[in-house]
Amino acid sequence: MSKLVLENLKEKFGAAILETHSDFGDDTALVAPEHWKAICQHARTHSALDFDMFVDLCGVDYPERGATGARIEVVLHLYSLGKRHRVRLKTRVGDDDLEGAELDSLTSIWPGANWFEREVFDMSGVTFVGHPDLRRILMYPEFVGHPLLKDYPANKTQPLVEYRSESEAGLPLEKLAPFREDEGMSFGRRTTETQEEPN
Amino acid sequence: MEPIDLELEEGELELPSEPMHLNLGPSHPAMHGTVRIVLELSGETILEADVQIGYLHRGFEKMCERGTWAQVFPYADRLNYASPMLNNVGYALAVEKLCGIEVPERCQWYRMILGELARIADHLTCTGAMAMELGAFTPFLWFLKAREMIYDVLEEETGARLTHSFGRIGGVASPPTPGLKDLCRGSLPRIVQLVEEGEKLLLKNRIFLDRVQGVGVISAADAVALSWTGPCLRAAGVSYDVRKAHPYLKYDEVDFRVPVGSNGDSADRFFVRLEEIRQSRRIIEQAIEKMADDGPVNVDDPRVMLPEKHAVYTTIEATIQHFKLVMEGAKVPKGEVYSYTEGGNGELGFYLVSDGSGTPYRVRIRPPCFPITGGLSKLITGRMLSDVVPTFGSLNMIGGECDH
Amino acid sequence: MPSFKLDGKTIPFEPGDSIIHAADRQGIEIPHYCWHPGLSAPANCRMCLVEILPAPNQRPIMLDILHWDAAAGAYKPVQKPKLQPACQMGAVDGMEVKAETSPHVKDARKTVQESLLLNHPVDCPICDQAGECKLQDYWLEYQKTPKRMRDEPVHKPKGVVFGPTIVYDAERCVMCTRCIRFMEEDAKDPVLDMRERGNLNEIMVAPGRQLDGHYTFMTEHVCPVGALTTVDFRFKARVWFLKSVPSICQGCATGCNAHLDYDPRNNRVYRYRPRDNEKVNKYWMCDEGMLTHHRAHEGRVLETTVSGRVASQASALETVKKLFEGAPKESIAVVLSAQHSLEDNWAMRELATAFLGTTSFFVAGMAEGYEDRILIHKDKNPNTAGVKELCAGARPFTELLTEIAAGRVTHALALGSRTPPIDPKDLATLQSLRGLVAIAVDEGPLVDAAQVVLPATSWAESAGTYVNAKGLRQQAERAIHPLGSARPAWEQVIHVARALGFEMGLSKLREIRAKLLVSDVAAPAPASTPMTTTP
Repeated sequence: MSKLVLENLKEKFGAAILETHSDFGDDTALVAPEHWKAICQHARTHSALDFDMFVDLCGVDYPERGATGARIEVVLHLYSLGKRHRVRLKTRVGDDDLEGAELDSLTSIWPGANWFEREVFDMSGVTFVGHPDLRRILMYPEFVGHPLLKDYPANKTQPLVEYRSESEAGLPLEKLAPFREDEGMSFGRRTTETQEEPN
Repeated sequence: MEPIDLELEEGELELPSEPMHLNLGPSHPAMHGTVRIVLELSGETILEADVQIGYLHRGFEKMCERGTWAQVFPYADRLNYASPMLNNVGYALAVEKLCGIEVPERCQWYRMILGELARIADHLTCTGAMAMELGAFTPFLWFLKAREMIYDVLEEETGARLTHSFGRIGGVASPPTPGLKDLCRGSLPRIVQLVEEGEKLLLKNRIFLDRVQGVGVISAADAVALSWTGPCLRAAGVSYDVRKAHPYLKYDEVDFRVPVGSNGDSADRFFVRLEEIRQSRRIIEQAIEKMADDGPVNVDDPRVMLPEKHAVYTTIEATIQHFKLVMEGAKVPKGEVYSYTEGGNGELGFYLVSDGSGTPYRVRIRPPCFPITGGLSKLITGRMLSDVVPTFGSLNMIGGECDH
Repeated sequence: MPSFKLDGKTIPFEPGDSIIHAADRQGIEIPHYCWHPGLSAPANCRMCLVEILPAPNQRPIMLDILHWDAAAGAYKPVQKPKLQPACQMGAVDGMEVKAETSPHVKDARKTVQESLLLNHPVDCPICDQAGECKLQDYWLEYQKTPKRMRDEPVHKPKGVVFGPTIVYDAERCVMCTRCIRFMEEDAKDPVLDMRERGNLNEIMVAPGRQLDGHYTFMTEHVCPVGALTTVDFRFKARVWFLKSVPSICQGCATGCNAHLDYDPRNNRVYRYRPRDNEKVNKYWMCDEGMLTHHRAHEGRVLETTVSGRVASQASALETVKKLFEGAPKESIAVVLSAQHSLEDNWAMRELATAFLGTTSFFVAGMAEGYEDRILIHKDKNPNTAGVKELCAGARPFTELLTEIAAGRVTHALALGSRTPPIDPKDLATLQSLRGLVAIAVDEGPLVDAAQVVLPATSWAESAGTYVNAKGLRQQAERAIHPLGSARPAWEQVIHVARALGFEMGLSKLREIRAKLLVSDVAAPAPASTPMTTTP
């Protein structure tokens, strides 16, 4: 793949492009989060780059980088229909408690970014400043937590929206999940939340 | 009786009104794969539409992180469950890109044949369901009859009609059966004949055309801005097909056209899909000619391929190989890769992050119908309530893929 | 610092190090079976062969071999450099060693691995070592070819009982002699030896003897394959389901560092593995210590009881309040425990000094036992020194009994339940106390005599700091979740304080740890100094 895209970005933005590589044939650039929108705008409008299609946006959690405020890596893939080249832009935000996990929204550049950003917010907890309608998309609104973070255990139960009375529930209230120990599959029911951690 | 002769002002004749909220709920015969559309209606005109997905979210990406690389194949199947083979092949290609493996030629043709069969099945389902929702039940049943023939072929090859889990890193689960070529040659003409008969019923049908032409129109520029790909984008006039633009497997060695529409309405999307079925048939027929009848199908790499069972039971090396691959997973080299193929609905992408171990660090599935469904509200706002059904049907939103 | 080059990387080394040891210190693994950092290097497995470039002015040692040329379909005589075992070659300053980058080394590793697997039984599904077996790992990394031999593999005895703790499988054995060398060099009891020759080789126990003693578990630990297995662990769990935490053995005051392996799915502890620590236990642990993991599940107190009957925590604390109402502080005794962590003891001490105002402290723990010069300490409590640090004036348990008998002590708050062995008269003395609250992990005399028993978590269920006999503070991390109704002892102390009307103002372990650092002298040593990789 030609290095045109990466070189163009490095020329224009210099130090904001932290790292680049082209492993496995994919041009990738790690950029500083403050310049996220500016770089994307440049990618969209500059004639040599001409990235008119927003392909994909996702978040990847690297908890060991949380101490340096770079926990969640937001990965953007762009494609140019005219020039037929692709680029991957990455940036890292957020610390251990998800403080600072914010990025500028790209919906003004590509309207298609709308739902992708909602998904990244839902799954990884990154908020997008300037997004017209940032709410959960795949999970229900009362969901607690962000599932794709590495410290969200896969067998975690959620606090259910409670029934107010037995007649509403149709069952005795204590029969609702979480189930008692003697009910259901002993193997599958075990959650990591049976008791509070001492620490 | 005396006529009512009230002195009424113009303004007093108008009744107070407010918009109505209608819930096209997740459980609805026309909401393919559970989608909820909350509509704000003024009479029959849609003022605002809020498309809510996520009812079929099963946490694939999280589950992939808890197994091995090979255990992702059943999840990949259940993404676009109308064309599961395309997802399998897409994921296998992504992992092979990370591992630096290229499968033998015979496997590449085989994957193409199965993939295109799956694509035909997907398009048949979509167009058939769309027609049925508009009242045309007969073409639906004919298309389903054609789809059954495809399922027969796939069942013969893979053992399952729908969720085959047939792909493997470095090949496919089992070699092509000797009867594959004859099966395909026998069923394809019949399938296309059924498609043509169904099409004939609809092509000149006033009711059908009135309901789909000019409905759900999107311009090419808008479609690109909304990240649409696949038949929906091509119907809007943009000729982008991953098989032509960035050929993978052996797509550059077969001859086929990419149908492109001009209006970007539901009718175009419908007919683009039918035309794609014909083109897929051409691809399959050429692939059948070019695929060798013998030769290795799977790559012979002990890092990813399971050994033969009789060796596993009798030699320690094969036992160790089997043990390592099953318990720890194939150790895919560290790195990240984005690999894309043409799925039933457009560019199906897999973004894989590997930490060098047998368990994926992150598997991101880029579903083609996710942005397409995101554009639905734009398509139906301002239209009438009855336009929702054919528009939504023409988008071919598969719940499993959109919500992964 | 002298250094040599390994595949282009500069490796510093201590004088006297072998190449493999120096590389291991830098985290680079040269594959090996028979080498162990704590044992002598016999170089019999030949897996660590590396190519050493000759010194300047020296001719390389070349061997004449026949190489199969597939293209020509015939053998061709070629020369290849003689490879040296990295475990025996001492590192020399300026040496250049090629391992990964040498095709001869790659070939050698492949061939050695193949010959080790020639007669190996197809036991992976039933072998305990599966998942942590070097044969498996090196096959995948270095060999990757299927079996070429068409003959029947050699069959040898399987399931040979070496002693009360160890079972031997001769077919799986690769004759690395690590077990023989361990027993001879470290356990100082050369009871194992090799017999027969060639491919009939086996390990045997000296005639008339069994493999017994205090360090037999270590033979299983050093065995790189599944030939030696412990009766305690064999067939109990598959290792890929087990998670590990760094922990401290609770068996005696040596405080050997260990990995505690548990299965999170059913919240059970399965075994210990020694953890390397140059200062404490080097690479080893004793048998008794290895078996103390059973204490997490056996003989536990898991329910809150009042007068022997299971009760709720609220009613138990109510009873505590009633029992201690109006008790004069001179007659309240506080019993610390040398079996409990610093944090637990500190909380109890705080309750006593800052709130209750008592001054009679006692310390309970297990009685002394066997000791040797290798690892075993006669003090069978992991934290005696810690309790001494916290409360230098704590009197022994026997004095408590005297005080109770004399009537000077009528109430007692006790941490832990393990005491030196006592007779029924002493038990009656304990039972004569008007108010005895035991915050205990295991069954024991204090639990039998107490009116209120609050269950506490063992060392495996909550993190703790333990001070060994040499004064080294070591931290054990939490493995499993608290069982039954058990809560960490320091948390139970806070509840008891609240029941007695005192608010201790603490709720998290790290708050207690912060106070420990401030109020006591030595900062804790790092959890362990990870040394070289053990198999």
